[in-house]
Amino acid sequence: MGRNMTISRSMVALLLISIAMVVSPAVNSLPTGVNYDQISAGGCNCHAAAPNAGVAVTLDGLPEEYNMSETYQVTISFTGGPSAEGNANLGGFNLWASGGEITPLDATVQSNGPSEVTHTEAGNDYTSWTIEWIAPSHGRDVDFVVHVNSVNGDGNAGPEDQWNKLTLKVAGSLGPGLEEADPYKVLATLIIISGILLTITVLYGFYRTNPDAFDWEHLAPWLTEWLTSTDHKKIGTLYFVQGLFFLGIGGILAMMIRIQLAVPGNDFISQDQYNSFFTLHGTTMIFLAAMPLINGFANWMVPLQIGAPDLAMPRLNALSFWLQPFAALLIFTGVFTGEGADTGWTGYAPYIVTEGAHTGVTMWVAGQIMLVASSTLTGINFLTTMAVMRAEGMGWMQMPLFTWSILVANLMLFLSIPAFGVGLIQVYLDRTISTAFYDISAGGDPLLWSHLFWYFGHPEVYVVIVPAFGVISEVLATSARRSIFGYRSMVYAMAGIGIVAFIVYGHHMFTSGMSPSLRFVTMLTTMLVAVPTGIKIFNWLKTMHGGSLVYRTHTLWALGFLVTFTLGGISGMFFPSIAMDTHLHETYFVVAHFHYVLVGGTVFGFFSAIYYWYPKMTGRMLDERLGTLHFLTAFVTYNGIFWPMHRLGVVGMARRHHTYFITTDDFTNLPEWAADWNLFISVSAFLFFFSNFIMVANMLISLVRGEKAPADPWGGWSFEWMTSSPPPTPSFDWNNPPVLKDANEHIAHEPGRLGQWFNRLMVPEDHEEVSH
Amino acid sequence: MSLITPLYDSLWNEYLVWSLLVALFTFGWLYHHSFFYRSEDGENPNIDNLEVGVFPVENDDLKLELAWTIVPFILIVYLTYISWAPLDNIWASPDGGHFGDECDYDSIDYYGSNLSFDPDAELKGEYTANCYHTIEITAKQWVWSFDCGTLEAELCESGFTEADGRAVPHLSLQAGNAYLAYMTSEDVTHAPWFVSLGVKEDVLPGQTTTVWILAEDVEDFLLLCTEYCGDDHAYMMAGVTIHA
Repeated sequence: MGRNMTISRSMVALLLISIAMVVSPAVNSLPTGVNYDQISAGGCNCHAAAPNAGVAVTLDGLPEEYNMSETYQVTISFTGGPSAEGNANLGGFNLWASGGEITPLDATVQSNGPSEVTHTEAGNDYTSWTIEWIAPSHGRDVDFVVHVNSVNGDGNAGPEDQWNKLTLKVAGSLGPGLEEADPYKVLATLIIISGILLTITVLYGFYRTNPDAFDWEHLAPWLTEWLTSTDHKKIGTLYFVQGLFFLGIGGILAMMIRIQLAVPGNDFISQDQYNSFFTLHGTTMIFLAAMPLINGFANWMVPLQIGAPDLAMPRLNALSFWLQPFAALLIFTGVFTGEGADTGWTGYAPYIVTEGAHTGVTMWVAGQIMLVASSTLTGINFLTTMAVMRAEGMGWMQMPLFTWSILVANLMLFLSIPAFGVGLIQVYLDRTISTAFYDISAGGDPLLWSHLFWYFGHPEVYVVIVPAFGVISEVLATSARRSIFGYRSMVYAMAGIGIVAFIVYGHHMFTSGMSPSLRFVTMLTTMLVAVPTGIKIFNWLKTMHGGSLVYRTHTLWALGFLVTFTLGGISGMFFPSIAMDTHLHETYFVVAHFHYVLVGGTVFGFFSAIYYWYPKMTGRMLDERLGTLHFLTAFVTYNGIFWPMHRLGVVGMARRHHTYFITTDDFTNLPEWAADWNLFISVSAFLFFFSNFIMVANMLISLVRGEKAPADPWGGWSFEWMTSSPPPTPSFDWNNPPVLKDANEHIAHEPGRLGQWFNRLMVPEDHEEVSH
Repeated sequence: MSLITPLYDSLWNEYLVWSLLVALFTFGWLYHHSFFYRSEDGENPNIDNLEVGVFPVENDDLKLELAWTIVPFILIVYLTYISWAPLDNIWASPDGGHFGDECDYDSIDYYGSNLSFDPDAELKGEYTANCYHTIEITAKQWVWSFDCGTLEAELCESGFTEADGRAVPHLSLQAGNAYLAYMTSEDVTHAPWFVSLGVKEDVLPGQTTTVWILAEDVEDFLLLCTEYCGDDHAYMMAGVTIHA
């Protein structure tokens, strides 16, 4: 190596060292003591760059294994280094412990918090210090780190001083504790594990259908078929699997939220992570779980029920589905980068366009724009199908009620979701190319978003509940062995809900600062929702009258739906009353209410649908004993979660808060029992979460070992029970297409009430007499 | 601590009674039918002769259907009617409404705000006052600030206090006074919830909203933020003291 090179290398090394000395955090140790955060990385490097073995550090008084909560007196001392008797000062130290509480005993030591002590100005004149350590009560191992500095006493920190470091582990009776987990990593891991489990399950399903076919020649066509199929049954199954998968993901998010809220002041999840957890929980459950589950059954059953070969636009249908998984990927992008969307599913402006909102919000918005596209296409497709592809003999008023419910839901969705799309695009542009739709300083209006969102958002919650009404109508009538009571009023009630849905959304904005007269009007219209909903509930009850209720799992879920949905409807009556809403808005009372209608309504309704139509979809009967066990455990634990929330909300627990406050001496907030109930809710939540795996297990076991299902296992009347289970493709024999007969033939050809009355007007009173 | 504030106490109770009646009626019916009309073991009668491919016989009764359209309608009209009255208190006019005009402290007629509650007035009781005091509330992420203006310290005082181990803003008001708060936000939407008073109203940037604070009883409570506003939303609280 040449001499020049040696010199230049040395110069570079020196330069680097000097830069490092300037850049690395300077420690103002000195008389005032040092902070562990500053020295934990580089040591006492303002004294000397590296520790010096000449300084011998001892830590006396610590046991090998500590007794929980016992107090120990600990002495920190050192020998060696430049410090010598008679110097102006001798040295300093910092002691840090990973557990327990360290307190100074005299004026030579000061506390830097419960886990850390350092010397004081007076303590600079000593080479040994004594402190007190109260061992922690958790029994896990505790690490001690002590930095000690021996100074030459010139009053300046310089390289002549020497320092050293000692680490020590004191064993607890329980051994090392768990590493603290980052909730995002837990979530991301659980999502990936769920995905892998899903893949394994699907591949196992494939293996069961053909154990010899795992070579590429068989696997590739199978994959291609599922990826490119336009068959409504296959797409329905895809929707269904997606819905169940995200129901699980949403459930995992909910469980992590419940761990956080199990005790007050918990720090399992930090507040910004908590915020994105409840945001993703809401978005996932509504858009990626409830809607695909509904679409899964709609895809499967609507063409079968109206006797159509497929949807009107099968390719559009495939596009609608395939937008979903990619939208889901975008919505969850933030989780995998550590900045999940944190705006709440409502995404209120202007927060959603501020710098403070997480970066994941942009992709979350993009994903939802794709879902808007998907839903719009689905709406067009189903409405067209129902309008033009009904079998012969099936008028509008002979469509099965599930098909009617999908019609009403899609009409609502189709008319409302464009408003949401517009709002999302505005937000997306605001966030990406700095337009100013929601920039307040440029004249943007935060209420515009609220209006656009809720104009869609309120019909949206009916979009997810109305199909459940359809399911319950089918299940209850079939189980009671009766035709549904008041078919016409059922249809009118659903249509009524569909219309009222568009004029009530202002009730989400009772405290928004919107004009009081507008708020007052929505109070009146919102009260009206109770009327059509009441008609439906009473009609279902009357359907059972004089019937012969056959108890199957789907019957149990339908009856459970009636209980929980009625409770959710009753608690809903408290909100339109503005005087009460100003107290209840954004509290757990609201959380309880909408979970009673969305879980107790939509989810229970679709659990019922799973037990009702699974034999049709797979050709296998589900196990009734496992089904009953699922109903009993899930129904009880479900009520254990959401019933106490009503009271918590009323006494002052606010929603979307990552913690809650128990009354202290100074200020009243939640009573002490609120903490107990929260723990109770968390435990119930876990039981509810796991009880649903009984259903998943039931579906998998029955798929393999279940009894073969007959074409019409429950005795329903609509066309889907006409074909074999599972239905072939094409579903019906098109040389002999299904024709709906009508048991009311004699009624159907008579004029209706209006017609009779009209006829009476048109025909003279004495007409009959004359003809005699 | 009452579950809900006196203004809505009777409203809440009335709603609760009707809820119980509706629930008893519905669940009584549901439980009766689900036990009384169950099929016996092994029996599976096809009561309405449901048959695949045949639209079933009509099962309806216009009178019954009209009954459970009209009766719930009458009930909700009544519930709407009783929900009406408190609106006068919630959205009272600042110009000579239920709480009069803003107090004129120099006037010889000024004897204080004198907030009072008459449980028999209107439908569910009403608050009235001679005059009201105004304060200002400004919100920003994640702290409230209260501005008492020129009010005497006895009537309104703002400062800091400690709650749940952290320093939070503090607002001290006097019982027996009506206050009108003019509110605005410096960044995003917030909403102060006067938990024990049962009122909240959004605070929006670029806009002024108002809320009536009816300090009736002596109490101390936490004020929470109830419109989601970002990371420290839950910690955006304040102590409120209503002293004698």
